[in-house]
Amino acid sequence: MFSEITRQQFRRFRSIRRAWVSFWILVVVYVVSLFSEHVANDRPLVMRYGGNTFFPTLKFYSAETFGGRYRTEADYLALEKTPEFLAQGGWMLFPVIKSDPLRSYLKEDGSPPLAPSARHWLGTDDSARDVAARLLYGFRTSMTFALVLAVLSAVMGIIVGGIQGYAGGWVDLAGQRLIEVWSALPFLYVVILIGSIYGQTFGVLLFVFLLFEWIGLSYYMRGEFYRLKHQTFTQAAQALGAGSFRILYRHILPNAMVPVITLFPFMLIGGISALTSLDFLGFGLPPPTPSWGEMLQQGLKYLYAPWLAFSSVIALFSTLLLASFVGEGARAAFDPRSSNAIR
Amino acid sequence: MPSADPTLSAAPLLQVKGLTIRFGELTAVDGISFQLAAGETLAVVGESGSGKSVSALALTRLLPPPPACRLGGEIRLGDRDILKLDEPMLHKIRGKEIAYIFQEPSSSLNPLFTIGSQIGEAIRLHRPDVKDPVAEIVRVLDLVGIRDPEKRHRDYPHQLSGGMQQRVMIAMALVCQPKILVADEPTTALDVTIQAQIIDLLRDLKKKLGMSVLMITHNFGIVHGFADRVIVMFRGKIVEEGPTEVVLRNPQHPYTKALISCIPRLGQRQERLVTIDYSTLAP
Repeated sequence: MFSEITRQQFRRFRSIRRAWVSFWILVVVYVVSLFSEHVANDRPLVMRYGGNTFFPTLKFYSAETFGGRYRTEADYLALEKTPEFLAQGGWMLFPVIKSDPLRSYLKEDGSPPLAPSARHWLGTDDSARDVAARLLYGFRTSMTFALVLAVLSAVMGIIVGGIQGYAGGWVDLAGQRLIEVWSALPFLYVVILIGSIYGQTFGVLLFVFLLFEWIGLSYYMRGEFYRLKHQTFTQAAQALGAGSFRILYRHILPNAMVPVITLFPFMLIGGISALTSLDFLGFGLPPPTPSWGEMLQQGLKYLYAPWLAFSSVIALFSTLLLASFVGEGARAAFDPRSSNAIR
Repeated sequence: MPSADPTLSAAPLLQVKGLTIRFGELTAVDGISFQLAAGETLAVVGESGSGKSVSALALTRLLPPPPACRLGGEIRLGDRDILKLDEPMLHKIRGKEIAYIFQEPSSSLNPLFTIGSQIGEAIRLHRPDVKDPVAEIVRVLDLVGIRDPEKRHRDYPHQLSGGMQQRVMIAMALVCQPKILVADEPTTALDVTIQAQIIDLLRDLKKKLGMSVLMITHNFGIVHGFADRVIVMFRGKIVEEGPTEVVLRNPQHPYTKALISCIPRLGQRQERLVTIDYSTLAP
């Protein structure tokens, strides 16, 4: 299914240790973060109570189920310590991080932000929410956002750039001028405006970012399509009677994928840091969404609580660094011009 | 001498009348007329920029659309005028009736697909009725003299030598069983021994398949013994035309004379090559 050249490039990517390891770290952490509810939660994974087994991270149980008074969700942390629960011979198995990212743990001693402890490994923020849990959920949000953004803007960049490069002439000229005007729009104002009208939801932010993100790649694709259109093999296919669509799809697009693959990790980095900075400024996802930008903001606000700044900065830094390594490796492996540049 | 004069046998397969090709202000081809009979081999000889390649591309309108390039005149293939056809009709003619081989075999093949899949593309485009495309691919590869075609059809272009790549290009052109094969300097990018092989192959295939060949070249050495007739082009015009032997023995136009005198001969010390003084030549 993949051509020999593709497989060779893939092998080359794998032989670049740093990129390959970084790639897997990112994949594993992302997959883990997809199951955040079962990794960081103050509901137990499994619990035993009154001879029955419950799975509170998967299913909602009201406090009444466990002899409480209300129909709201049971407070498992409190329940665990009640004498009735212990008398029933009940037990709970909690996830690795025993905190919910949205919940304030105000019953601990001291005033938030709380320093790291056995209960809160990375401490808590100013609302006494667990930093470790928020980091994990924040990673999921950033990564999902950046991935969806990168994929959609790549598709859009390929389509727009491809049309411009292949059609050439007036289409290209007019398209290029329109893009120049478009890219001159002040991004931050557009975000603030649209955000204040339609609300700063994940979808709206994604849409606004998408309006601008595709432009970078479209330049590359325009050039690639333009170059490949004049390659002899494209003309040979034309001389064979192949139609435009066939030529675009089979002869030009596969040969134009190199910039897409090599730029993709960097688009990912761009997406993560853009969302983080927007959150930092307060124009991103609304509170109390766990987000790295908001945590950075807190780190700046509470300089006497260095765990806040350290954990978010280190998390952001390592994610971006790993993604850069992947991008660097991908470029070395897939770009024919720098075939054996790094090991 | 050409065996029998095929031009007289039947109505010409392809008839070009007053073909003019303009790129903006520049007139690349200025009202040329020629015809190609079934089974005939016609060589178009001329220097770079004389308009021979664009004329060949114009036969199936492979040139950029207007306003970049304007075509005039008439190109009759059977009872159709190619200059008046729409795109879908052209797609049916390209490859199926008039097929091309280009100068650079190494860049004429898509580097990402096996040669078999590229020949298969030609089959899919023009012969959808073929039941077993792989067998057909193997057959044409064998026809153009690729050894071990059952294995080699899974090779990628970069795994083949230049001569073999050109054989694959020929196979790709032949698999659609075209009536006319246009070979645009098919040997220019190859070294001399391979050139001879490819020319022999083309001559062989022509005999076997009975198609017409339009050979574009600037090398009179190839023309001799291969083409039935020769057209000499110079600055967008046909300056000389006739049976190969006649033109080679007794060139009329100064440009043809100069070109023929540039062919190196065995046992004869070559002095400086003849140059053409363009100011004295009426185009």
